Amino acid sequence: MALPLPPGLTPPEIAFLCEMELVTVVPRQRLERLELLGGPLPPLNPPHRTALPLWLALLLKRQRRANILPPPWLSPHSLTAILDHETTHEQGFSPPPRLPPLPSQNTLPFSPPFLPSSTDNAAPDALPYHWLELGEMLLEAATDDFEDPDNVRKLLRGLREVRMAKLRQGVEVLDSEGGISMNGVGGMEVAEGRAFVTGVIDGLRKITVSREQQKKDKDGEQRENGYSGTAEDYDDDEMDMQ
Amino acid sequence: MGSYYDIDAILTDAQKVPCTFELTVPGLGYVEGNMNGDMKQGSKVELPLWLGEMLALSQSLNTSSLVTLDTPAALAPRVMNALKADARTVDLRALAPHFYNLGARILELFEEEDMIEVLSDSFKSRAAIIADQAHNPRGALGEGADFMRGLDENERQLFRAAHDSAKAVRTWMADLKKQ
Repeated sequence: MALPLPPGLTPPEIAFLCEMELVTVVPRQRLERLELLGGPLPPLNPPHRTALPLWLALLLKRQRRANILPPPWLSPHSLTAILDHETTHEQGFSPPPRLPPLPSQNTLPFSPPFLPSSTDNAAPDALPYHWLELGEMLLEAATDDFEDPDNVRKLLRGLREVRMAKLRQGVEVLDSEGGISMNGVGGMEVAEGRAFVTGVIDGLRKITVSREQQKKDKDGEQRENGYSGTAEDYDDDEMDMQ
Repeated sequence: MGSYYDIDAILTDAQKVPCTFELTVPGLGYVEGNMNGDMKQGSKVELPLWLGEMLALSQSLNTSSLVTLDTPAALAPRVMNALKADARTVDLRALAPHFYNLGARILELFEEEDMIEVLSDSFKSRAAIIADQAHNPRGALGEGADFMRGLDENERQLFRAAHDSAKAVRTWMADLKKQ
């Protein structure tokens, strides 16, 4: 392969995207309104909670200018409930957070990362797309803002194990045409599972390529017999497919 | 199928398959190790897949094809039964280093629905173990060592891919702690 990087995003790239997520901070110092390329940042007034992008929140946290409020789903209580759901439901992953109702006609519907899925008013019962990387980064940079960081860390590790095992077991029901339901799988998990899952599908396709070829031939014959009047058009199509 | 320079495809084509000569060919005895002799009709020779395929498919002017192909030993019914019984214990690498690629090439030549089923089922069940081993390197060195030695080339690449992506995530997490 010419490119040294495998297809898809690498973990540091996903973590970089995750830094656009909004988190709630409690500032300790005043900060004027900032005009940045990505849009204006609200002014910080010490006792008032403000939603900031994760990268700025981490920066302010390191400089001890703000405290980060962990999102509600990152509490031991919620994580235990989600882990329970994961272990009792063998099939599928725990559902992602519900999308808000569509806004009125002329505005574009929001999707992550522009949905505040990690602020202090996020849904407590669902893991958002960037759950793993956000949780790890917050646990690393803002340990003292958690009530029970060790327990949260343990639960995150448990969730990751359970969900990765599900992703791996999913390939046993795969065939070359079908797929596995990946609803609710997070960004970092996609990065981790991509190479394996695509490798399995490629391998299966290689094995069943002769069957596909037979099917294609048979379809082609039937078409020729059935609609002899338009056979030429179909021949052109087949040329394109090969 | 595949790129012209695909080394795995080239190596697959170089694997030997049993062929039976249908005609006597003068002066071809050296293929059998019989210098200056003729290749007798009905003699069985192991030829590389690319040569055997070409000879079997070529139609000379008025006769049937020059040689007939048999399924190679790696894909014999005995092996298929072993895969059906428990795919995890079969040492595919000993049978053929490019086992699945060889299977796919043979399936292009012969119509065998059963073999497609057996091969894809065993690939799937073995892939699940490969993923587990890739995430748990201690298993690959300890009790899983025999299984890992029996992987064919496709499965090795799969193991490598799964292992590398798991490692990338672990490295990212370790880097996070350093900052």
